[in-house]
Amino acid sequence: MLVLSRQRDETIMIGDNIEITVVDIRGDKVRLGINAPKEISVHRKEVYDAIRRENKAAAQVKIDDVAGLGKISPANPGQEQPK
Amino acid sequence: MEIDSARFGVIVVDDQQIMTFPHGLLGFPQHSRFALVQTGPDSYFQWLQSLDDPNLAFVVTDPALFFKDYEVPIREENVADLQLADARLTQVRVICNRVGDWLTGNLLGPIVVNVANRLAQQVVLTEKKWTTRQMLLRLDVEVPAERELVAQPA
Repeated sequence: MLVLSRQRDETIMIGDNIEITVVDIRGDKVRLGINAPKEISVHRKEVYDAIRRENKAAAQVKIDDVAGLGKISPANPGQEQPK
Repeated sequence: MEIDSARFGVIVVDDQQIMTFPHGLLGFPQHSRFALVQTGPDSYFQWLQSLDDPNLAFVVTDPALFFKDYEVPIREENVADLQLADARLTQVRVICNRVGDWLTGNLLGPIVVNVANRLAQQVVLTEKKWTTRQMLLRLDVEVPAERELVAQPA
């Protein structure tokens, strides 16, 4: 991994059109500003990881786990939520 | 075409049921082709069965049936990846999981399908309102009860 030191308000470039600027540093929290073309998606990695984990878990669902789902077509199935 | 599946054996699907995920799904980047298989005649749920791996299948549903205010913003990167001519020609599905007695839906990582060309992609929402395990309905309590109700002789 390439490691660079930057101070507040300093920027790094990735390719020709992605800029990442250190906006603020407070304690152990760093705020970054990102300028990137609109077709580039920028996300927090933990969100990606959570979705990846959930996909892996959902791939384990067997027919018996959801037996009867084929018969469900209530008027409004999402009404009930846990208290 | 006939496809092999671990859960259903050999099933016949037509081309309209097949969708292509150019980037795969998160965690499954190698699996690009899936068929959408109905679970029952009027069911709100389908199985998304991989054409590349008989063992890989997901339960999916339309999140709008459960959450009226659920929206997936179509971003420019989605338009490019799905070759979307018209953002309105999309379908949204979410992958379901079983967590305890509950069927949950991954509303943080919905699947967006271009209805015109059947290209699909799992997108990551930036809004923190939704989770990967949004509760949809209770399985153990409601489902058998409904089934018995249906099975009762007239």
